[in-house]
Amino acid sequence: MKHCLIVDDSRVVRTVAGRIVKDLSFSVSEAADGAQALEMCRTEMPDAILLDWNMPVMNGLDFLRALRREEKGQEPIVVFCTNENDSEHISEAIRAGANEYIMKPFDADIVESKFAEVGLV
Amino acid sequence: MQETTFNELADLALRQSGQSIPASKSYLMEARLSTIARRENFATLDDLVHCLKARPNPRFEQEVAAALTGKSTSFFGDRELLDKIVGQALPKRLEYSKTGRLRVWCAGVSTGQEAWSLAILLREAVGSPLANAEIEIIGTDLSTLCIETAKQGVYGHFDVQKGLSIHRLMTNFDRHDNGDWSVKPDLQKQVSFRRHNLLEPARDLGQFDIVMCCNVLNGLAKGAQQQVVETLSAHLLPDAFLFAGTGEDLQGISPSIKPSRALRGAFERDISVKKTEAA
Repeated sequence: MKHCLIVDDSRVVRTVAGRIVKDLSFSVSEAADGAQALEMCRTEMPDAILLDWNMPVMNGLDFLRALRREEKGQEPIVVFCTNENDSEHISEAIRAGANEYIMKPFDADIVESKFAEVGLV
Repeated sequence: MQETTFNELADLALRQSGQSIPASKSYLMEARLSTIARRENFATLDDLVHCLKARPNPRFEQEVAAALTGKSTSFFGDRELLDKIVGQALPKRLEYSKTGRLRVWCAGVSTGQEAWSLAILLREAVGSPLANAEIEIIGTDLSTLCIETAKQGVYGHFDVQKGLSIHRLMTNFDRHDNGDWSVKPDLQKQVSFRRHNLLEPARDLGQFDIVMCCNVLNGLAKGAQQQVVETLSAHLLPDAFLFAGTGEDLQGISPSIKPSRALRGAFERDISVKKTEAA
């Protein structure tokens, strides 16, 4: 079973996204900010990361840049999932190493479609 | 829903789009018309039908008939077929083209995503012989409302996130301040849309190298299926390809077509039928 780390400071979003990703046959773990997520990745690198942008302590973009510098940090497929929906933010995320981008609000079909785009399902 | 309401709507669907809706599927009507009924402030479908009868409105009838078809569409919804068209069918047609110009008809294109998806794939065909071809895509649909949406090429937040990768979205669409996304002008030049009912002749459409008709034939009455296929086949150039959607079968619907010898899964016009009839 593939493992997806959901990184979002909103417990509601983590719960909703977690249910959707579990339905896609992933095991799920959660982190509330980038720093916590980075620690978890150092322990066990997930197959996929669903990543919010604006979070306390370390935001999504800083986390992604740090992750890609880690040993094996290139391996996880990172899908941003954020309210930052303008072209500049999207371009910045892709430059930093994001594989896909979900604009909030989202539903199960969007998550499945985006995961399919990057070969996760 | 009253029985008379079901009968009126079933008759409208059959008359306008050739769709056959059995009484056992009356629940589909409720589901498919719920959005229109809510938007137009009809408390029930009985009220909607009453209004249609009291104040006939061809445009609204079209819209109701189009909604009853229940066709859902998304970007790259039939990726397998699109890949076959771009990877095999169009290059084969280009081999025999003297002008380097090819024409594709997306019949029953709904709000246009299928046609735009094809245009996006063609734009990505860098290095393929198709890169130098002039390819015109025409999308048609029964619904004026759908065609207006397709022509505008403006899609909402949810539409652009189903089937489109972020790379394709950023490359081919511009974002509006309200969160909608519109097809970039250079892509719009390649695609045009017009209203057309596949049960009627399409005299001014011309002939095509590829005709694709996805998720249209399922659900049509048998006679309507034959009529639609004959309309489509009448617009095929010699040896041109007709495709239904992946998983749909054109076999046996009309003697006007036969399986293509040149491309598995495609059909072509059976010119022997005309010759036999003429003899």
